[in-house]
Amino acid sequence: MANGDGFSAVERRVAGQTALGELSVAVGDLIREPRLAERSESPLAQGVRRLRRSKTAVLGAAIVLLLLLVAGFADVLAPQSPTDSDQTSTFQQPSRAHPLGTDQLGRDMLSRVIHGTRVALVVGVASVLLALFVGVPLGLIAGYYGGQLVDTAVMRVMDLILSFPVYLLAIILMVIFTPTAGVLGTVKVVGAIAIVRIPIYARIVRGSVLSIKEKEYIEACRALGQRDPRIMFGHVLPNCLAPIIVTTTLGIATSIIVEASLSFLGLGTQPPTPSWGWDLKANVAFIQATPWLSLFPGLAIFFTVLGFNLFGDGLRDALDPRLK
Amino acid sequence: MRVYILRRLLQVVPTVLMITLVVFVMMRSIPGDPVVALLGDAYTEEDAVKLREAYGLNKPIIVQYGIWLGKLLQGDWGASILTGRPVLQDVLIRLPVTLELIVLSMAVAIAIAVPAGVIAALRQNTWGDYTAMTLALAGVSIPEFFLGVLLLLGFSFNLAGALPSSGWVYLPGTCPTVVCAASLSGNLQHVLMPAIALGVGRAAILARLLRASMLEIVRIEYVTTARAKGLGERRVVLKHALKNALIPTVTVMGLQVGFLIGAAIVVETLFAVPGLGTFGIDAILARDYQQVQGFVLLTALTFVVVNLVVDFTYSFLDPRIRYGA
Repeated sequence: MANGDGFSAVERRVAGQTALGELSVAVGDLIREPRLAERSESPLAQGVRRLRRSKTAVLGAAIVLLLLLVAGFADVLAPQSPTDSDQTSTFQQPSRAHPLGTDQLGRDMLSRVIHGTRVALVVGVASVLLALFVGVPLGLIAGYYGGQLVDTAVMRVMDLILSFPVYLLAIILMVIFTPTAGVLGTVKVVGAIAIVRIPIYARIVRGSVLSIKEKEYIEACRALGQRDPRIMFGHVLPNCLAPIIVTTTLGIATSIIVEASLSFLGLGTQPPTPSWGWDLKANVAFIQATPWLSLFPGLAIFFTVLGFNLFGDGLRDALDPRLK
Repeated sequence: MRVYILRRLLQVVPTVLMITLVVFVMMRSIPGDPVVALLGDAYTEEDAVKLREAYGLNKPIIVQYGIWLGKLLQGDWGASILTGRPVLQDVLIRLPVTLELIVLSMAVAIAIAVPAGVIAALRQNTWGDYTAMTLALAGVSIPEFFLGVLLLLGFSFNLAGALPSSGWVYLPGTCPTVVCAASLSGNLQHVLMPAIALGVGRAAILARLLRASMLEIVRIEYVTTARAKGLGERRVVLKHALKNALIPTVTVMGLQVGFLIGAAIVVETLFAVPGLGTFGIDAILARDYQQVQGFVLLTALTFVVVNLVVDFTYSFLDPRIRYGA
């Protein structure tokens, strides 16, 4: 379907289901042409230089780095166990012993928020990487053999996934997987969010590949007798890395929101594993008496998502200034 | 135009079939044997065989899907295991509430996004632009349910209960039961916070997009021509730039409606709005899978219809689409 803004109804649909940043990637990607390096500096070095100049990117990177440290050293940083309840000190106000207070089971809120970083980051990063490792090869193959049976088959399955609203499909998948606690529970959430995100990668990569494969240097590879897989992964893929990297960073932000929303609905990682969405939900019932209990997990989600969005925005500007 | 509409309508058929297939697979993959659950303590192997035969559960899976699909088409969406009420009737009652919420949150989004996007573009790189875009980034980053919690804290509890924290008052004339609370002002009071919670994130996305397309368009020659003709800046912006910048924005607006169908599930749960979302989540938590099936089917079908309407609207606004394909 041809239309005014140059991308099809389905592509518009993919874009609409994602955060704006990812949308701009999708749009920009369709008008992308490989640029010649203006100077002898490599494109990577140029990107890094632009990234370091961008205040938003540096701020975002700092937030992300801080979160990684908190998640890594959660056991050291948390003053108490996030799961040990203490019935003698429930619903404590923030104090020196409990800087963020305690919840209905007397668990230290600060420790829960600190440990919640782990679930949020693990789910956010792992689900996006899983989607990437499935979606990118699918998109590569579909684009490289564009118009052939493989392309049609892959893209029909992607369309099927896209014919559900993101949240609804994640909910359906969690109903099928049945939510549980601990590592297995986290793996299920990762799987559900990854499946929802696969078509985003497949579409973006396919779109890039369709234009890249017509370029002379790909034809040259063919003429040299290189095999398809080598051309695909060695020559086509490196040329569509920029949108993949940006989509991944911004996708982590979206995935963290979806994870928190699933937990909020009671369909994410189950207690006692600390999860921000679940903590927020559990404490909304007492919001009038102890507002800080729902406030802190919510703020944690907000700052985490903000960090990845800032970094992703900066990355997009750095890797492709034309999208600014 | 007619050909385009027909072709687009025909495209819907395989999509709907695929959706039903996914729902069928979901119902099949739910752990536990329905026959065992139905018979409960009175389970005997003999009864189980009889029951399987009665429900057609011994037939090949494709035939079972066909029978199930046939029933759906006839309006038999099963009955709730807990209440015994027909599911289709129950989900249809819930749909208008969710639709009202979505329409109003879209209105909130547009009301914020259009002025914010235009001002940010016109005053590019001033503090006004930075403020608008910082707020937009915050808006993109805040989950709907957390914004809802902040609104609850601000308007329900601190301003002496200015707005109700949960529940619903129906629009006059839309009461689904014999007796229920229905008034326009009551309805607005109840829908306001959920609509803002849902709308702000969409507003942020639309504002950023509108700013970007405005900035692109004010550099195109015809805008320069308009200025060169001596037109006032206000006219140049509103009449020439904004109109064209709105085209991509309108597309994305339609897509955001699709997103809202999913996001509404979360916000309805927070504010205890009696829409499709709360119905679905309650059914999932109660393991009433007939209700879950009805919720998933109707939500997915609503999504298909919304996408269809968006495409038609868009092809109406931009004639180039109709003649393509």
